[in-house]
Amino acid sequence: MPCLHLDAAEVSFPGLPAPVLHIPRLDIAAGSQVAVIGPSGSGKSTLVNVITGLARPTQGRVFWDECDIAQLSEGRRDRWRGANIGLVMQDFHLFPGLSALENVLLPARLARVADGAIRARAAALLSRAGLSRPDQPVETLSRGEMQRVAAARALLRNPGVIVADEPTASLDPENGAVIATLLLELAAQTGATLIVVTHDQRLISRLPRRIAMADGTVRYDSMAEAQP
Amino acid sequence: MIRFVLADLKRLWAGSVVIVLLVALAVALGVGVSLQERALRLGSARAAEKFDVIVGAPGSETQLVLSAVFLQPAALPLMPGEVLAELNDDPRVEWAAPVGFGDFHAGYPIIGTTTTLIEATAGGFSQGGMFRTEGEAVVGSAVPLQPGEAVVPTHGQVEQGGHEHEGIRYRVSGRLNPTGTPWDRAILVPIQAVWHVHGMGLEAGHDHDHDHAGHDTAHEDEEAHEHHGMDADAPLDEDWHRGALPGLPAILIKPKTIADAYRLRQDYRADGRTLAVFPGEVLTGLYATLGDARQVLAVIAAGTQLLVAAALLMVTVIHVGQRRRQIGALRAFGAPRAAVFGIVWLELSVLVGLGILLGYGGGYLAASLLSRAFAMQRGFSLPVGFTPEDGAMLAILAAVAALLAALPAWLAYRQSPAAALRN
Repeated sequence: MPCLHLDAAEVSFPGLPAPVLHIPRLDIAAGSQVAVIGPSGSGKSTLVNVITGLARPTQGRVFWDECDIAQLSEGRRDRWRGANIGLVMQDFHLFPGLSALENVLLPARLARVADGAIRARAAALLSRAGLSRPDQPVETLSRGEMQRVAAARALLRNPGVIVADEPTASLDPENGAVIATLLLELAAQTGATLIVVTHDQRLISRLPRRIAMADGTVRYDSMAEAQP
Repeated sequence: MIRFVLADLKRLWAGSVVIVLLVALAVALGVGVSLQERALRLGSARAAEKFDVIVGAPGSETQLVLSAVFLQPAALPLMPGEVLAELNDDPRVEWAAPVGFGDFHAGYPIIGTTTTLIEATAGGFSQGGMFRTEGEAVVGSAVPLQPGEAVVPTHGQVEQGGHEHEGIRYRVSGRLNPTGTPWDRAILVPIQAVWHVHGMGLEAGHDHDHDHAGHDTAHEDEEAHEHHGMDADAPLDEDWHRGALPGLPAILIKPKTIADAYRLRQDYRADGRTLAVFPGEVLTGLYATLGDARQVLAVIAAGTQLLVAAALLMVTVIHVGQRRRQIGALRAFGAPRAAVFGIVWLELSVLVGLGILLGYGGGYLAASLLSRAFAMQRGFSLPVGFTPEDGAMLAILAAVAALLAALPAWLAYRQSPAAALRN
């Protein structure tokens, strides 16, 4: 499982006086479970974009183990992300007209990596997530079930890192708790690094490490406090 | 990817249907115009193909062809009857047959002609057989008369003030197979019967300076237009050398060779008494005139296609913009950029491709229906059909559509996957 090392990572836009993200240094150990918190506009989403390779930092380096993804071309970052990152978002981004199983398999199919083992894993993950009908069209699922499908999709290729952006924000507390448990258990089971951006206090309380952001930088890190 | 594209199109079915119909209509317009124009050209050429050379009195070449080939009612000037005897003796001529117009039965033209012409130009009989006596008639396939039924000729068309020839009846002896030409609507009778009905007997041999072929001038003085009897049982007489023949509006000629055709036309054109034309050549002149109209229609059709293409491009570019999040999400979950490009390109190409195919079908259908309506009215068929040049056009259209679809696909390809995360 890869560990993250950010080195002077900065994202700025022309016309803005201050960078939207400015992190001199940040390390996240492989297999750790981290909550990223902070008010909106504090740079959480930008951080997620940078560490998942969805966006390139203006400056600095983003190492996952030995690989600086800031140096990769767009196509290679896509490939790297597909193989190493499992993303769960607040909006489930499921595609209507396809079944739960087809949604789980869609990115792998588009990347042409969906073999028999992947298909078997997709079915197993759906069943693990508590969905009994993998052939059900996603538009007929409840919101809680939709997020479970999205979680199964994120874990399909057995990624080393799971990044969840407000995974419980659009769910009721009950379903939020189910999803939180699912993510924590699956991450623990596979040994994947889990990074969760969230406002959900109950979810935050279940994550061992907390990073608080404000004005584009890290203001508080429970890890740093533990190791003075 | 195909599953995803189909699911996506199904989700956006209303917009998809509108796009397909729009493309189909624009394509159908262009295809319909070119098919119909070609059908008219083919159909009229086919109608004229049996008649290599037409000889008539000096006058309008176009009118001579329209009357002799397409049986369009008009007053043709007459040429001296001896031209027919001359032509029959000419070694360059395989056969030469007179045609005489003027009478109608229930709107169907009655054409006086010879057994030679019927044998040489019609494709045999579906019922009965050739006329054997002066009072018998052969009908074309589009004439609703059966062998044994009676034909009552009127001089000129009744609705235009024509009148009946009293006591004159032809009996239908046979029905011809369809030829796809205006002659399918004709009632063919021995030319000698036409002469006799109009008082122009072979024996009489007097001058006919007034136009008996013209039914538009059917309001002739009753006294001047004497009715002479016809002997329904008289045997056919197709020997053109006995006595002076009455004046003739047109003679249709089959020359022995192509060289003979040119020489005959040369001789009878320069002759002063007559005019000789190749129907094909006259039609070509007519097409040139029609060609301008076709050009206008083609430009209108092309303009429509351009407008539809522009509208489509605008709609899809906006659509791709609206799908930023979906496209970004696909990328974020690990779909390669090429797959995103492929999805957008395939969706648009499927819609436009479907529209083009439907448009070809629709254009063909429209042209066929128009041709059928025309055939019912005019009696000659306009064969609607695709040619290799349509295939080339289809390929060009498909290529342009594929290229156009690449623009929104390229925009999608360029989109940042980070868009998926922004709210």
